[in-house]
Amino acid sequence: MRAPTASEAAPTGPVPTPARPPRPRPDPFAEQRPARGIRFLHALNPLAKLAGPLPFMIALVFTRGFAIPIAFIVLVMALLFVGARLTSRGALALVLGTPIAVLVLGVTFGVWVDPSRIDEASAAASVVVVEIGEWQFTLAAYLVGLATSLRLAALLLLSLIAGLTSTGPEFVRAMVQNLRVPYRIGYTALAALRFVPRFGHELEVIRAAHRVRGTDTRRGPIAAVRRGIGYSIPLLASAIRHAERVALAMDARAFGAHATRTERILSPWRVRDTAFVVAFWAVGAGVYAVALQLGVTS
Amino acid sequence: MPDSPLLDLHRVRIRHEGATRATPDGVTLSISAGEVVLLLGPSGCGKSTLALALDGLVPHAVPAELEGTVRVAGLDTRDHGVGVLSEHVAMVFQDPDAQVVTGTLLDEVAFGPENQLVPVDEVLARAERALKLVGLWERRDENPDRLSGGGRQRLTIACALAMAAPVLVLDEPTANLDPAGIDEVYAVLRELASERDHAIVLIEHNLDAAVGIVDRVVVLDADGHVTIDGPAQQVLRDRAEDLLALGVWLPVSTLAAMRLRDAGVTLDPLPITPAELAAALDAQPTLPAPLSGAGATQAGEPAIRVRGLSVRRGGRRGPVVVHDVDLDVVRGEFVAIVGTNGAGKTSLLQAIAGVIPPPVGAVDVLGLDPARADARTLSSRIGFVFQNPEHQFVAHSVFGELELGLRVHGVPEADRSEAALRLLRRFGLEDLREQHPFLLSGGQKRRLSVGTALIAGAPVLALDEPTFGQDREHAAELLDMLRELNDEGTTVLVITHDLQLVADYATRVVVMQDGRILGAGPTAEVLAGPLIDEAGLRHPPLARATRGLANHPDWHGVSRMSQLPPPAEAAA
Repeated sequence: MRAPTASEAAPTGPVPTPARPPRPRPDPFAEQRPARGIRFLHALNPLAKLAGPLPFMIALVFTRGFAIPIAFIVLVMALLFVGARLTSRGALALVLGTPIAVLVLGVTFGVWVDPSRIDEASAAASVVVVEIGEWQFTLAAYLVGLATSLRLAALLLLSLIAGLTSTGPEFVRAMVQNLRVPYRIGYTALAALRFVPRFGHELEVIRAAHRVRGTDTRRGPIAAVRRGIGYSIPLLASAIRHAERVALAMDARAFGAHATRTERILSPWRVRDTAFVVAFWAVGAGVYAVALQLGVTS
Repeated sequence: MPDSPLLDLHRVRIRHEGATRATPDGVTLSISAGEVVLLLGPSGCGKSTLALALDGLVPHAVPAELEGTVRVAGLDTRDHGVGVLSEHVAMVFQDPDAQVVTGTLLDEVAFGPENQLVPVDEVLARAERALKLVGLWERRDENPDRLSGGGRQRLTIACALAMAAPVLVLDEPTANLDPAGIDEVYAVLRELASERDHAIVLIEHNLDAAVGIVDRVVVLDADGHVTIDGPAQQVLRDRAEDLLALGVWLPVSTLAAMRLRDAGVTLDPLPITPAELAAALDAQPTLPAPLSGAGATQAGEPAIRVRGLSVRRGGRRGPVVVHDVDLDVVRGEFVAIVGTNGAGKTSLLQAIAGVIPPPVGAVDVLGLDPARADARTLSSRIGFVFQNPEHQFVAHSVFGELELGLRVHGVPEADRSEAALRLLRRFGLEDLREQHPFLLSGGQKRRLSVGTALIAGAPVLALDEPTFGQDREHAAELLDMLRELNDEGTTVLVITHDLQLVADYATRVVVMQDGRILGAGPTAEVLAGPLIDEAGLRHPPLARATRGLANHPDWHGVSRMSQLPPPAEAAA
């Protein structure tokens, strides 16, 4: 039997595409290379990387002011730079993208901020940045918006600690083995993840097929919604059929036959996982303690 | 162990929820270790349903009513779950994409044994053995998406083998594959069959591929009864007429021999492979002269003119998938575009039909440049039929589907109804006019999708692999319809992998490789020449038999059924 060559790697699936994009896309299923040197985050249990930040993600929702979100942003960035494998592009996006996104989002949030929340007496409230007719955008409003966007950025970065350094299968294994989530749920979710690119591609084909009919060339949002409904019917029909087939194939391979399944790769909870969580909690709590002490939380 | 069958079926009747009759109906059958059984029958006879009953998916996972008993290694499937039965019967289904669950080949093969609570060492040992057998062990860390269709189907066979079940059931394992993939899968199946470790139950329409490995044939008729059960060679040779009458597709070599017999050339015994046909023909002292292939190239008005067409996929920086192609299609031609996967067939056809915008000036369809025309104008010149007919439906009834097409083209309301009805009658869908398009049968959907492409009066029809995943009966039905349209003057362009269909229907063949046209010409010439081999394709079965004839050089160009001498009474 001959070994398939690269040119054969194109799918034979029921989708009329000649080849997959040649650029290697990130593979959400691929196992990680073993962590080397100081990139310790990859070697931790994904649950530890969630449990560490989780209390502070909740606390941040109720936090005001700039100091605490900024402290967390800086801390997490430092953690990611040391402990995670980042591509140079990823690192750049982190360092430059975060402040730019915070500043821009600050404007958006500032525009929508409830005027009653702004202290009219403060100095910033009298500084008008933009004025359109009756409406004024004051520095105070911008500052409130900025605080909101900083909180969001801090939340996002905290979630990236686990997100950037764990794979889908690792999460599922940890959920099943450490949290005792039924494996039927975990592995079904993993199988469902495979549907996403497939449906994306199928949607493209359906759009082309409808375009060819020339039936709806109207423009505007209403026509777009109407078209969207038109696409959803064939997409749903094929999604249901596909899901049924996958379910049959999984049943035939004894999926769900027993209460547990053999775990070929273990997801242990080690001392270093506990250490990471405790250390993260200590540092995070320290940030809050210092901030409260200095009174910079309002 | 003939006295203790692995599978024992007694008067099995299965009625799907909502169905009025049971198919299969009253099947009694037993299969022992080491047997390789081919299950045949016309579409709708319940072959696939029977396959699902062999490992308990019917009745446990599929809503269907099972009467009679199915015993797997002595276990009644009614009393044991699919999980238990999976230790005795492993399944391979048609669509390789719908069987992959995990992210790497190794995980995939380990998935089944892990579910069976097999210890880790044994899981790994089984996975290694199975992956090595299908030739994928070296690629065990890769994502299954990176395999070709044939590779993915070999992977699903490895997954089934890793279950360590003594019975392997394969339900049309090659229907979604191109010829290269079919060869890969059959290379694996041949090895499995020769080892005799497994009982194999195979459902397959492609008899030319399957006939070499099976030793027993079980045939269901349209009502789901077993009508024939016997040794493969004997059944195919002695009961060929009966099989044909049942609507079962026979190997092309057998069909050719039956046609020759009508013409007064008796080949006994009936050949079932191209090699046997070639040997039987060479053994004949004389043969009547074959008819010539389709006439010379048709001259006439050009319908499509392509000059220097290059196509990129995925935007400006995407890869070039069609390179500098020139192509002329004359009005009234039936052109087949062939080539291996990734040869650029679909991109070429889509660019011609304006589904993806070609560069300005590269394509001319009846005086119209698809790069400049809007979808409406274009669809009155060229109709494009996608692989999956459902993708093209936009209305809520069969009639509405056609009526909408006419409305878009500004046909006055008074005339629409009549024109739509005329087309419905033409495609045999008039009784279904109020039906929702998604509720039609597969063949009806296909006919409706061709109808929607033609409703605007397009004189050119382009079809992208319309026979994909269909059995030969439906494929032939569709191509017969295309031939009728072609006879009425419609220019037809079609992409297909089935070279025997190409041989029997197309007037001209375009062979593509790596985004370029390797060559084009009248079907008989292309199939007799070197292009097919150069493009990495395989000759259709009839051509394979006639190419090497030592005693009848005038038969070398025979590749289509219609070239065989006509029946004797017609010739007289």
